[in-house]
Parts: sequence; structure tokens; C-alpha cells
Amino acid sequence: MPVIPDVTAPTLQTTLGRLTLPNPIMVASGTFGYAREMQSIVDLNRLGGILPKTITAEPRIGNAPWRTVETSAGLLNAIGLDNDGVDAFIEHHLPYLTSLTAPIVVSVAGRTVEDFTELAARVGACPGVAAIELNLSCPNVSGGVDFGTNAESCRSVVASARNATSVPILAKLTPNVTSIADIARGAADGGADAVCLTNTVLGIAVDWRKRRAILGNGMGGLSGPAIKPIALRCVHQVRRAVEIPIIGIGGIASLDDVMQFLVTGASAVQIGTANYYDPTLSMRLIDQLPAALGELGAGSVAEIVGTLE
Amino acid sequence: MATLHAKHYADAISHLDAPLLLNEQVAENTYLMRVRAPAIAATAKPGQFVMIRLAGLDAPLIGRAFAIYDVHPDPESNAADSVDLIYLRKGALTRPLSEAPVGTMVSLWGPLGNAFRDDPCERLIMAVGGIGQTPMLMAGRDALQRGWADHVEMIYGARRSSLLAGVSDFRDAGFAVTTCTDDGSEGRQALVPDVLAERIQTLQQESPDAKIRVLTCGPEIMMEKVAEVGAAQGVDVQVSMETPMACGIGICFSCVAKVIQEDGEWDYKRTCVDGPIFDAEQLCWG
Repeated sequence: MPVIPDVTAPTLQTTLGRLTLPNPIMVASGTFGYAREMQSIVDLNRLGGILPKTITAEPRIGNAPWRTVETSAGLLNAIGLDNDGVDAFIEHHLPYLTSLTAPIVVSVAGRTVEDFTELAARVGACPGVAAIELNLSCPNVSGGVDFGTNAESCRSVVASARNATSVPILAKLTPNVTSIADIARGAADGGADAVCLTNTVLGIAVDWRKRRAILGNGMGGLSGPAIKPIALRCVHQVRRAVEIPIIGIGGIASLDDVMQFLVTGASAVQIGTANYYDPTLSMRLIDQLPAALGELGAGSVAEIVGTLE
Repeated sequence: MATLHAKHYADAISHLDAPLLLNEQVAENTYLMRVRAPAIAATAKPGQFVMIRLAGLDAPLIGRAFAIYDVHPDPESNAADSVDLIYLRKGALTRPLSEAPVGTMVSLWGPLGNAFRDDPCERLIMAVGGIGQTPMLMAGRDALQRGWADHVEMIYGARRSSLLAGVSDFRDAGFAVTTCTDDGSEGRQALVPDVLAERIQTLQQESPDAKIRVLTCGPEIMMEKVAEVGAAQGVDVQVSMETPMACGIGICFSCVAKVIQEDGEWDYKRTCVDGPIFDAEQLCWG
């Protein structure tokens, strides 16, 4: 049946620095494979943005199992950035991804400023890439987390990546810091178009009978509804302290969660762990969003972003 | 390195909330649930699985993988209608699930994963242990109905008699079933790999040219031994792997197993999209 456009429907388009998205519902890196996996149950072209699994310069085999374990209202993971490297990504995954109409935001990680810079240059030169997300915060790979825990390191890596490409740069930060606002200020000073708040919270799960950590890597990153208040608090603190667009991420599992992030200060959100246990959630959120905006009397997403009193 | 593309994307997948039509104990600590899921029943292939959680609840959060035991048509329309799953009551999902009344809604998505190969053989032997019998009803029946195996038999082991579930279903489907238990409470007091080795030897003496295929599912140590038996006796073995899984679709990269690649080196592969069925010689055990 043809869809008749409703002239009174709120506009879902949202803008973050130089990046404009058709709607604020994105899917988070590491929780959506390379998107091809989801083709049969998600209308990929309707998504506000797709972030394929983080790529590194060289292939990485990832961590030994177990790689995930469920904890109370959450999931602890230590996948270890299992990926085929940037060359394989550009040759085999990117053609499929860029054939989609949804904005493709490529997540990259490295150990050094040079790694991030070279990856940004390589990926940014590929046609059809809408933006690059710097994964400054994967807790499972030594090196990456340092950029997200020091404001000056964060500023310098963002600035270097920004100078290497003309596509927008997003900085994904870790909540495992004393002052998330300081780090976000570093990202803003480095020229990031937006910050993504946040990555997982460092944790551990233990089998006391075996006196061993359950994850093969020992510690891992906690995600899911358990961390939503932490991520929301990070959005709140950064919104109050720094002038930079924010993408909210952390435990989003319902439209209420989406609206909480938008009102608190996020201009868009990323659905993460919920893709695992509710794989069609992103579609329902896009369907439900206009009514919730309407309930607040808003004609656009921008009208409600950061309106928390 | 992980492969560029999975071998089997979940392209027939449906995600739905569905009612329990049946949920009853069938053996010690073992339950059978029937779920109305026509789209899944219509496309499920032997060896595939579904992911399940209790609809609308945040605990447990993550779905659990269950092999598809059987599918049923609607009695009136004869169209594909429901899916049967057999499960052990042992964890945060299966404990409340085992107490859920008929009509309870579960959230499920599938069918997932690849399927058992169906190239012809004379003798199909299913060597299973623990709760590993669950993918075999559809596999053996498919072999007999579509004629890709002439004879189907099952060697089914459990710790004790009370844990054996589905033996009458397997016999009704035309499989010759040999049971074995650790305590001798039913069938032979023997281990599945040992019984399998004897059986293959007998069959090979009777008809040296007959092509034998083994399907195995159960505890990893048992499957490893079954793979060794197959390798030693020159018999093709397919393994149904179970690894800790969070999504079932290929998006989380949790459920990896060591799989030997064309270059002879192993790589972590996703059991959910590159498996769960692997040729035994592909797997790097331990």
C-alpha cells in the first residue's frame, strides 16, 4: 500500500556538525556485524546510520572464548576487535554497505595516532562513507583506551584524524574516566563533529567454583540496560559542559530510552546490545518516534534535544 | 583471519512473539515446548536452530539457542504451523521457561545457521549424548523421506535411563536406536564413541564399500572422540557445535570456534553463521 505523507509529521532528520542523518536511530558498531547479516529482518535503508564492526589496520583474530557472558540486565563482552583488517573491509564489506542508502559511519581503532590517522585517510577516501567514528574506548584492546582517558591525547588523535580526511569525525568515548566532560572537551578542541557517549563499562564476571574469570580475556565491557543510567549521566555532564553534538549510546532498548537520551542532550542514538536480543527493535523505534515527538509538541528532533530542565 | 563473508546468512529469518502451545516434561529435567511460529516451521532445515527469550522480560536478557526438534503443520490447513524444541532445565532462562503455562509468549527468531549436508550415503549413524539428540529427529527423517540415506540408526547415550528423551519418536521415525547409559540403567553400559567404533567396524566388515556418514551432537569431549573414531575408520563425520551465543545471527562475534581454513591454519569462525554444522576435520578441538 502506498504511504501517504503526513504533512504534520515531525521531521526526523538530525544534524551533528557536518553530518546529517535521516533520523536519529543508528545501530552501534560491534552490535550489527557488517549489516549484511541483518538484511532479512531489518530494512537497512530506513536506519539513521549504520556503524559496521570496528576495523583495524591489520587483521585481528580476537580474544579466546568465552567472549560474552550475561550479567544482571546486561552483557559483558571481550570480543577483542576480531576483524579482517582495513584492506579486506574496503574490498569485501564496503561495497555492500555503500550500496545502502543509510549513512555508513565506519568505526576504526588503532594503537597510535598514526594508526588512527592512516585509517581515517584510507576510509575517508572511499566513496559513500558518511563519517568515521574513532573507537577511542574499546576496553579490550590495550592502547585504544588511553586516547579516551586523557583529554590532550584525545584532542591530538581527533585533530590528526580530522586533518587526514574531509569526512566528519565522531569520537566514541569511554565512561571509565574521572571526568567525561574533560575528555569530550578534548575531542571538541580537536575538531570532532560529535562525541558518542558511551562505550562499555569495564567489568568482570567470575566463576567462583573454578576461581576463574568467565571471559577468556578476564575483564570485559558491560553493555545493555544495566549501563543506561551511566551513559545518560555522561550525556548530561557533557551537554552541560561542552558545545559539541552528542550521540547517545548505552542500554537503549525502548522508545522511552531514546527520548530520555534526546531530551538529555543527544542529537542521535545508537542501538547496541538490544540488536542481539531484539533484532528488529531499530525498526520499531523509527516507527514510534514521530508519535513521541508529537506528544511533546515538537516538529523536529532538534526541538527536543537537550531540553532537560 | 575471520572470513570475509559468512557461508550462511540467516536469510529465511523471522522474528516474532509466539505463544507456547505445549510445554511438558518428557524426561528427567527435560522438557518439550511447542511454539506457534509458521514462518519458522515453513523454512526450518535439519540442523538449524532458533533463539528464544521470554517476551517482554528484561531478565534473562539475552536469547538462548535451541536446536529445532520437529515441525508440525496446522491440522486443518496442513500449512506449516509450529516448532518443537526440547530443552534441559538448567539455567536462568530454562528454569522459568519450564514453569511457563501454555499461552505464555516467547520471543524467537530463526531459523538460524546452516544445515546437515544431504548428499547420499548408505548408512547414516547419529551418535549423540546428553541433550544432543535434539537436532537428529528432523535430520534422520529427512534422510529417509528424501532418500539420501538408505538406513538410519542412532547411538544415544546419557548418564542414566531417566535422562533419555525422545527414544520413541526416533523409533517411530524408523531409526534403529541403540541406547547406552553411564550407569547401565538402560541399554548398554558403554560410551557413545566406543559403541560407534564397534558399529562402524561391523558395518565395514559386512559391506566394505557402503558409504557411512556420522552426525554427532552432545558434550564436546564426546564429539571430539566421535570425530577421532570417524578419522580412524575413514568415515565422514558432521558435528553440530554448541558455543556460547548472544545473537544467533552473526552480529556479535561471541560464538566462535576454531575452524581450520584453506591455508591449514585455524581461525575463529562464528558458529551461528558458519555452523553450527561443521565437517569434523574442519574443527580444531580443545
